[in-house]
Amino acid sequence: MSWMFSRIDNMGRFLTTNIEYTINVVLMVYVSVRAAVLDRAQGFRQIFSVISAQIYFTGWQAVPLISVLALAVGSILMLQALSNLTLVGGVEVLGSFMIAILVREVAPLLTAIVVIARSGTAVASEVGTMRVNREIEALEVMGINPLSFIVFPRVVGGLISVLCLSFYFNVIGLIGGYFLTKFFHEIPLGFFLDSLANAFSKEDILVFVLKNSFSGIMIFVVCCYQGMLVKKSPHEVPQVTTQAVVTSVIYVTVFNLAVTALYYLSQLQKLGLV
Amino acid sequence: MEGQVIPIESLRFEDISLWHDGGHPVLKNTTFDFPMGGVIWLKSDEGAGKSTLLNALAGLHNPTSGSYVINDIDVVPMSFEEFLPYRLSIGYSFDYGGLINNRTLRDNLLLPLLFHHLCTPEQAYVRVDEILQRFEITKYAGERPAHVPGRVRKLVVVLRSIVTYPSFLLLDDPSVGLSDDILSNFVSWIDEAREAGRLSTIVVSAFDDKMVRPFDHTIVALEGHQLFVGSQVEKRVANL
Repeated sequence: MSWMFSRIDNMGRFLTTNIEYTINVVLMVYVSVRAAVLDRAQGFRQIFSVISAQIYFTGWQAVPLISVLALAVGSILMLQALSNLTLVGGVEVLGSFMIAILVREVAPLLTAIVVIARSGTAVASEVGTMRVNREIEALEVMGINPLSFIVFPRVVGGLISVLCLSFYFNVIGLIGGYFLTKFFHEIPLGFFLDSLANAFSKEDILVFVLKNSFSGIMIFVVCCYQGMLVKKSPHEVPQVTTQAVVTSVIYVTVFNLAVTALYYLSQLQKLGLV
Repeated sequence: MEGQVIPIESLRFEDISLWHDGGHPVLKNTTFDFPMGGVIWLKSDEGAGKSTLLNALAGLHNPTSGSYVINDIDVVPMSFEEFLPYRLSIGYSFDYGGLINNRTLRDNLLLPLLFHHLCTPEQAYVRVDEILQRFEITKYAGERPAHVPGRVRKLVVVLRSIVTYPSFLLLDDPSVGLSDDILSNFVSWIDEAREAGRLSTIVVSAFDDKMVRPFDHTIVALEGHQLFVGSQVEKRVANL
């Protein structure tokens, strides 16, 4: 019997630790927004300069990598779809296929992973190093709230960047993918655009905003939170950075999966199948 | 002047318990009135918790129990925003680190003045340039902390604590890494600020009296997780 209790104990410990962590992360979103709103000294110009720097590093500098990824993924998906749909004579559903796979699923997930790899790691190690160098304490001593000065602008900058990057991923994936595919397979542009327009629905906008907003906020809050966990020693910085990547990927993946499951459940409900 | 500043007139620990981050006690159920209006030399054995105590006085480290009373108001339950007017009259110098690494030394000194609009930008630049000239580090003003010698970094941390003209100054090991000439210049600055009525109380945490020797000072000893003023320590030693 003892092995059973031991397993239940371990499961309970795992659950409570993760629930507590999630509560802390969500709380950090609230306290950073609260600090930014209540901070009378921090002017719009100061916040805007950090937000624009964050958009530059996270959004603008990721454009080349996102372009290559989007082109490759868009072309691969279209070639695979065409080779299989042609066999069964269903080329007219190409648009639906691309919207379902690329716009709803692949673009939000890949954009989030690129942002975690490029900027999440940078933010976690930056904040961790600031803790080691006592810059966070120095800000507090000067009466500058680190939550409004460091966390809030990074989260807002990250949110805007992820939304823009994901939109860009979709455009390059669909249009660029089409032009690359034209080397191998002749499809009229008008037919392709019509097919996309017919497949696109207002729920896709909701899915796009939900998935990418969550990723943008959670990646940067988790990375700032992990950075803040550093106590004093530089050896903790790579540890918290690794943990920030793992945790961000888990949050983003689980949320994407949950939204997809709910979306398809609602579609099945509309069709009266559930 | 946009940032509201409340001058610190009295400081009192009431039944306070304070612990290191590492889990060692610094103070246990201590009640203590800090002597105000002079120079206090905070003394203790190495590792007894002088820096943690200074952190608590600056509002950076909350006690585990008890009250930290400033001007007859318990500040422990206060939020960051509520404590801000007190914080703006406190200057704090770290024993190591503490400079913002992605800003130049001049910007580090300007930051608290400009952020809280404690004076006009023109006045802030004049004040900072005067301080840089006085301590002969103008040539490093445009450099970032990583690109200057260690003694300059330490000096800028000390100078940032005085740039806002605080009435209450907390100095953690200020003499470490600074030459005698710079220290004597800093002591002169403190004398001038006290004569001008800008600076009231200074707490120096140090293992030697290099910094406090030029001043008429009171010793506050941290011993056995309690605080004592100098005369009480002598009485305790005499009674042993």
